[in-house]
Amino acid sequence: MSLAFLHAHDGAEPHSDAVWAVNWTNADTVLSISADGVIKQWDSISGQVSRSRPPHTLGLVSLSVDPTGKLALYNTLEGLTCLWDLEDGELKGSFESYARGPGAETTEPSWSVSLNPRGGTYASTGGSGNVTIHSAEPGSFGERRATLTSGRSKFGMHCKYSPDGSRVAMSSEAGQIFVFDVASSSIQAAYSSHAMAVRSFAWSADSTLLLSASEDKRLILHDVRVSSSGKPGSGAVATLSGHSSWVLSTDISPDNKLAVSGSADKTTKVWDIGARAAVSTVQEQGEVWSVSWRPKPPAHGTAGAYVTGGEDGVVRWWRSAGAG
Amino acid sequence: MRSLVFPRVSKTPSARPFAQLFRVIDLIHEALVDGVPVTKRDIYYKDVQLFRSQATVDRLVDDLAATLQLTRADLNVRASSKGLMCGSGVTMHMQSGETLELCDGDASLIPPSEDIKRFAVAQTLAWVLVVEKEAVFQTLCRLRLATHETLPGSGLIVTGKGYPDVATRQLVKTLADNLPARVPILALVDGDAYGIDILSVYKHGSTRMRHENSHLAADRVQWLGLWASELASLGIDKDALLPITKHDEKKARSLLKRENLPARWRKELQYMLFSRRKAEIEVLGAARATQESIADLTQAASFSHCDFNRERAGGSPGTPLSRYLVKKIGDACTESGHSSED
Repeated sequence: MSLAFLHAHDGAEPHSDAVWAVNWTNADTVLSISADGVIKQWDSISGQVSRSRPPHTLGLVSLSVDPTGKLALYNTLEGLTCLWDLEDGELKGSFESYARGPGAETTEPSWSVSLNPRGGTYASTGGSGNVTIHSAEPGSFGERRATLTSGRSKFGMHCKYSPDGSRVAMSSEAGQIFVFDVASSSIQAAYSSHAMAVRSFAWSADSTLLLSASEDKRLILHDVRVSSSGKPGSGAVATLSGHSSWVLSTDISPDNKLAVSGSADKTTKVWDIGARAAVSTVQEQGEVWSVSWRPKPPAHGTAGAYVTGGEDGVVRWWRSAGAG
Repeated sequence: MRSLVFPRVSKTPSARPFAQLFRVIDLIHEALVDGVPVTKRDIYYKDVQLFRSQATVDRLVDDLAATLQLTRADLNVRASSKGLMCGSGVTMHMQSGETLELCDGDASLIPPSEDIKRFAVAQTLAWVLVVEKEAVFQTLCRLRLATHETLPGSGLIVTGKGYPDVATRQLVKTLADNLPARVPILALVDGDAYGIDILSVYKHGSTRMRHENSHLAADRVQWLGLWASELASLGIDKDALLPITKHDEKKARSLLKRENLPARWRKELQYMLFSRRKAEIEVLGAARATQESIADLTQAASFSHCDFNRERAGGSPGTPLSRYLVKKIGDACTESGHSSED
């Protein structure tokens, strides 16, 4: 079976440097951040920029959006974390994670950040390999509240809360993935399915699956269900191979049937999760740093839509061609 | 700005920094009065017990020179030579009366500038290449890159063996000030934070010697490579790149904090931090066959077929490194030639 995905349109104004993350929000807008230090909000139908912020000195490396699509959390290369309110366009919080705090505690600049879907806090990861929970309230934005230790000191490349807010996962440069239970601040599961860096991963919308994208050119699907007895899910259940270089990012479709992945081999692939096979490969202009599915369930007979961002600085929308 | 305070409340005796300072002043005074130059190493060895480390002497000498607003040479403290050079078309006439003729296959030590009376550069000199690593320099010397036929003219290759010493920087600065605009001065450094910092020392000067920047900083130096962003086009697999270390990361972040950082440098440093890989020059050896290299091979086959007398296979593709440099130096010469015509 193959599914065709067509190029719908490009973003009207490209970024002047690589796009490092994109996010298709529940408000049906798309957010993109770039190495040029700019964050933009796009209208998905027209491809026009609806909001943007003045450029930061350094590039923006991490992006996270709340479930309403109205708040965006992003982090710069040096570790300045900002909370942007998309309704009024104001910055509601900013935190210099690289600044030395009072009491000479060891600080590390944040790298990847993720907003808690239940609100109130955000998670960050960085050089120490641990997950730090910060306050996301405007009054105390950035204050460190807790540290979830992984036991390893490898660089934390990506962290993300599960959509139900009960867990937060972190992937490291050494290839390991840790899933923490938020309530008890303890490790619930640790996966060593990859031996090379896991640059990014995605949760399924119902928080039962975790799909990891690694420099080992593969994506691995993990069953991370938590049974009522507290026993963690079975772990790695499928491997998606086919890319010829690092897999840089991935996302799972809202109905859990498909996955999309962007790679350093300059292609985007769509995978049928059940069949464990690629159903579409699209050639892009440069390395594809980030991919994101449209969260709204697709119309009957279509497979949905996704947005990509890559080295050439252009945000691109893709939609399925229709009933296969 | 440093200040030494005596006496000071401390557990250990606080006279040492003072004693070190006065001893250095004493030795420099002796060198000036006798007219016999000393090196920083000589000063250190005069009283190892007092100084304890070479770095202390280095720092004191530089600080003294800066405070008195003199150069190190004015204090009769000679720089010892570390850098190497090779090439053709350059002849150095020394104060002692000797002549140093550069050769394209063998390296010569770069003498301190105070020992050089003048040096003559042939009209055929078309490019200057400054290389970070000694190992790369020796390879290029062996390959006789300086007189490679496919290049627009002969060249001069210089290395500071890492962070360059004053003698090497003086040589590069003198070349930069005196060579015609059509001769590009190119730097080949690793695509990592340290490489970019070394480039910055040649181009903008170092913090320690900033009081001497007017005769050490050679703004004309251009960054030839290696750029992380061009590796894909050279057929180098991402997995061949080395992961960055915590030191690399710290250095890169501190470089990014500098003001007036050229946009290209910022882009490369950001890319390096984001991909968490660095491009050392040795990675060129891992280049797979690309369209260009296959074309080179077919060209070489046709060359060696029709001319048996060539000593070395002049048309041969050589190593990926020499291929890379020949192309980039050639492009740089063409560009300099055009811009100097305007």
